[in-house]
Amino acid sequence: MSFSDSILAGLSLVANFESFLSLFIGVAVGTVAGAIPGMSATMAVALALPFTFSMTPITGILLLLGVYKGGIFGGSIPAILIKTPGTPASSATILDGYPLAEKGQAGKALGMALWASCTADLISNLSLILFAGWLASFALSFGPPEFFALILFSLTIIAGVSGESLLRGALSALLGLLLATIGLDLIYGTNRFTFGNPNMMGGLNFIAVLIGLFAIPEIIAMVWDPKAHEGKTRRLGEDRVTFQDYKSSFRSIVRGSFIGVFLGSIPGIGAAPSAFLSYSEARRKSKNKANFGHGEVEGVAAAEAGNNGVAGATLIPLLALGVPGDVITAIILGAFMVHGLQPGPMMFVMNSDIIYGLFVGLIVSSVFLFLIGSVAIKGFKYVAEIPRGVLFPGVMVLCIYGVFAVNNNLFDVGVMFAMGWVGYFMARFDVPTAPFLIAFVLGPLLEDSFRQSMLMSGSSPAVLFRGPICWFFWGLTCITVFAIIRSGARAARQSKKTEFVRQTP
Amino acid sequence: MNVRSNQMKLGIGAVVTAVFLLTVAIPFWVSSPTNVPNIVLAPTFWPQILAAVTGVTGVGLMVFSSRRRAVTSTSGLEAEEKGAAIFRMIGLAAIMGLALLAMPRLGLVWTAMLVFAALAFLVRTRHPGIVLICAVAVPLILYGFFAHVAGVAIPQGHFVRLP
Repeated sequence: MSFSDSILAGLSLVANFESFLSLFIGVAVGTVAGAIPGMSATMAVALALPFTFSMTPITGILLLLGVYKGGIFGGSIPAILIKTPGTPASSATILDGYPLAEKGQAGKALGMALWASCTADLISNLSLILFAGWLASFALSFGPPEFFALILFSLTIIAGVSGESLLRGALSALLGLLLATIGLDLIYGTNRFTFGNPNMMGGLNFIAVLIGLFAIPEIIAMVWDPKAHEGKTRRLGEDRVTFQDYKSSFRSIVRGSFIGVFLGSIPGIGAAPSAFLSYSEARRKSKNKANFGHGEVEGVAAAEAGNNGVAGATLIPLLALGVPGDVITAIILGAFMVHGLQPGPMMFVMNSDIIYGLFVGLIVSSVFLFLIGSVAIKGFKYVAEIPRGVLFPGVMVLCIYGVFAVNNNLFDVGVMFAMGWVGYFMARFDVPTAPFLIAFVLGPLLEDSFRQSMLMSGSSPAVLFRGPICWFFWGLTCITVFAIIRSGARAARQSKKTEFVRQTP
Repeated sequence: MNVRSNQMKLGIGAVVTAVFLLTVAIPFWVSSPTNVPNIVLAPTFWPQILAAVTGVTGVGLMVFSSRRRAVTSTSGLEAEEKGAAIFRMIGLAAIMGLALLAMPRLGLVWTAMLVFAALAFLVRTRHPGIVLICAVAVPLILYGFFAHVAGVAIPQGHFVRLP
C-alpha cells in the first residue's frame, strides 16, 4: 500500500463525528487536568484509560492522545500563573513565564506558550509521520535476539536518565521486571509467585499497577501535606501576544521543536530535559540574552516548544518498535493491548489504517489544542480554585471505578492500593517510578525474546550477538552505561569540590 | 531526611530482597518441571538472574552511599505537623483496608460514597457541603457510565441495589 493510500485509509477511519469528538474531549480534559497543580498529564491519561474500554480502538486511543497533548500544554498555565508547574515538563516555562506574570504580562506569556506549543506539536506530528513508517519497515527484519538487544538498550537508558542516580533507576527497573514475573510461566505454564491465588495467575493487572503508581501516591502526598501546591494566582493583564512577538521567537520555536523531536524519539529522555535544553540554546543564541530569566517572552516560547516537540516524537519508538519512550506512551501501549492491538513493525502491515488514522487525528489535535488552549487560558481561574479536599477524593473514587472496570475484579483494586503505597515510598526514597512501570511493561517482552532466542539457538548465548543490528544495540547499551556512569562521577566530583570551597574560610 | 542514610537503607533493602528471593521465594513459590532441557529455559532462571542483579545493585547502593555527603533534605512540614500527618496516613491506610472489606458487602457505589466523604474529612475540607453533594453525585454518575454505557457489572452489595 502506498503512502497516499495509507493516508486515505486512515482518513476513512477517523473522518467521523465520534472520532473528532473523542479527540476534542481528550484535549479539553488533558488541558484542564494539566492545569490543576498536583495532577499531571500522566495521571490524567491513566484515569482516562478505563473510559476507553467501551470505545472502538481508534476512538479510544485518540481520546488518550488528546489527553496527553492537552496535559502537556495545560501544565504551562499554572507554571506561569502560580509558579507551580502542572507537569514536570513545564518546569522550564517558570523561568521566564512567572517573571512576565509578575510584570502583569501573564496573558502575553500564556499566549506565546500556546502558539509555541501548537507549532512544536505540529512539527513533532509531521516528524512522527515521516519517520515512524521508515523505522518500522527497517524493524520488520528484527528477530527475537534483535528485540532482546533493543529492549535491553531501552531499559538501560530509561533507568539511567530517570533520576540523579543510575543505581536507583536500575533498582526501580529491576523491581518492575521482578513484578512482571508474577503469573504463569510463558513457556511451561507453571506458577510463579502466584501463592495459589487464581487472581494472580494472569499476572498483576497493568492498569491497576499503573494507576496505583501514578495516581494514588498523589492522593497519599495530599493526605501527608494538604496545604502543598497552594499558590496565589496572577491576573492575565491587558498585554497580549502579537504576531511580531511570534515572528521574533520563531527561530527559537523551530529549534526547540527539533530538539524535542530528537530527544523525544530516544526512549527515556522525556519532555523536561528537552525543555531545558531548548531554553538554554535559545538563551545562548538570542539577541536578548540578558533578559532571559527576568521575563523574556522568547524564553517561554523556547521552553514550551522544547516540551511539546517531544509529544509526537515519543510515539515514534512506540509505533515503529513497540517500545514505549516514556510513562505516558507506556500507558498508551497498554491501551493498544486492551483493544487487542500490539504496536510494532507488524502493526504497519496488519493495521496500517489505524496507524494512519492516528496520524490524521494527531494533526487535527494541534488545531483543537489551539482552540481549547485559548479558552483554557481565560478559564484557568476556575480550575485553579477547585478545592483539593474535593478534587482528590473524586480522583480516588475514579481510580476505584476505573481499575475495577478492567476485569470486573475487586482484587485489582487491592493491587492498586498496594502499588499506591509502593509508589509513594519510592518517591520518598527518591527512587524514580518511571523505570519501574516501563520495565513492568517490557519485562515479559524481554524475557520472551530472550527465551525464544535460546530456543532458536539450542541455548547458545552467541545468538544474542548474531548480526549488525544486535551489535548496534549492544554498542549503544555499552556507550549509554559508560556515559551515565561518567556523568554521575563528574557530578559527584563537582559536588565534592563545591563542598570543599564552601568549607574553606 | 538524610540522603546518604536513605541510599544505605535502599541498598540494604535490595540485598535483603535478593537473598530472600534466592533462598526462599524462588525455591518455594516458583514451580519448575523436572524435564527442562537447559537451565536457561527453566521458569526459575529469569527470576534468579533478576534477584542476583538486584543484590549487586543493592551492594552498589551501599558502597556509593558511603561516598556521599550526609545532606539533609526537609520534608516541608514542621515537627509538630508531622505527628498529625502520620495520624492522617494511618487513617488513609485504614480507609483503604476498610473499603476493600466493604466493597463486596455494601457494593461499590455506597463504599465509594463513604470513601469520598471519609477522605475529604480526613484532610479537614473547608467545603463540607460541596463534599457531601459530590460524595453522593460522583459515584452515582460513574455508576451510570460504567454500568449502563460501558456495560461493566458493578458490584451491588447485599443491602440497597441500584437500577
